[in-house]
Amino acid sequence: MTNKKTKECYFCVNNLEVDYKDTRTLRRFINFYMKILPGQRTGVCSWHQRKLANAIKRSRVMALLSATHK
Amino acid sequence: MSKTKNSGATHYEILFIVPNKFTEDEAKTVSSQVEKVIEENDGKVTFREFWGKKKLAYEIKHNAYGYYSLFEFDLEGENLAKIDKNLRLSTDILRHQIIVKKAKSEKDLAHDKLIRAKIDSKKATEEKSKEEKTKKAFAPAATSKSKEVKETKVDLKDLDEKLEGILSAKDLI
Repeated sequence: MTNKKTKECYFCVNNLEVDYKDTRTLRRFINFYMKILPGQRTGVCSWHQRKLANAIKRSRVMALLSATHK
Repeated sequence: MSKTKNSGATHYEILFIVPNKFTEDEAKTVSSQVEKVIEENDGKVTFREFWGKKKLAYEIKHNAYGYYSLFEFDLEGENLAKIDKNLRLSTDILRHQIIVKKAKSEKDLAHDKLIRAKIDSKKATEEKSKEEKTKKAFAPAATSKSKEVKETKVDLKDLDEKLEGILSAKDLI
């Protein structure tokens, strides 16, 4: 989760690509219930938010992330 | 062993899970079999990575653990469906996922490097300015105070002079 004051896209600022294998960074954009956070909350630009949602779903398929918090 | 694309072929990435019933060496042989399947269908494996045993986020067919393995390969034509079917039918693999990966050309890599350098320099300058700010926070406090004191002194002198002037004027009247 990014700070509310800094509304800069994490991926644009650091010139990173969204990777579904990198669960540590993906975890920042998921809440306690393992739900994908909305773009307003994450501060990620809409282009990267779309990639992010896809990446999280892909990592769920491969059991890198769980779909629920239990 | 490169992550870049060779020619006009599409670049793919495959990640698959080998169940925990195998030992680590057996899991490695299974992943080499997968490599064979790709190569039989005219694919060129350009990158291999064996992640080892990892805990799955949820159980898949009563397996809590699995061996992850990652390949990147170039493939032309429509053999992808064959590979996919082959892996889907095999019982040695719990799950697999094939993804089209945008391969980076050398130009893109150079561009990335440029941007990375820019970001690093920006971060360095920001840190420097922060340090300067912290230094200023201690030093300038004293100088500003002394300035204020001086100003008040000057003001007092002016006031005295003005007062004297006024008083003398009143005396005259």
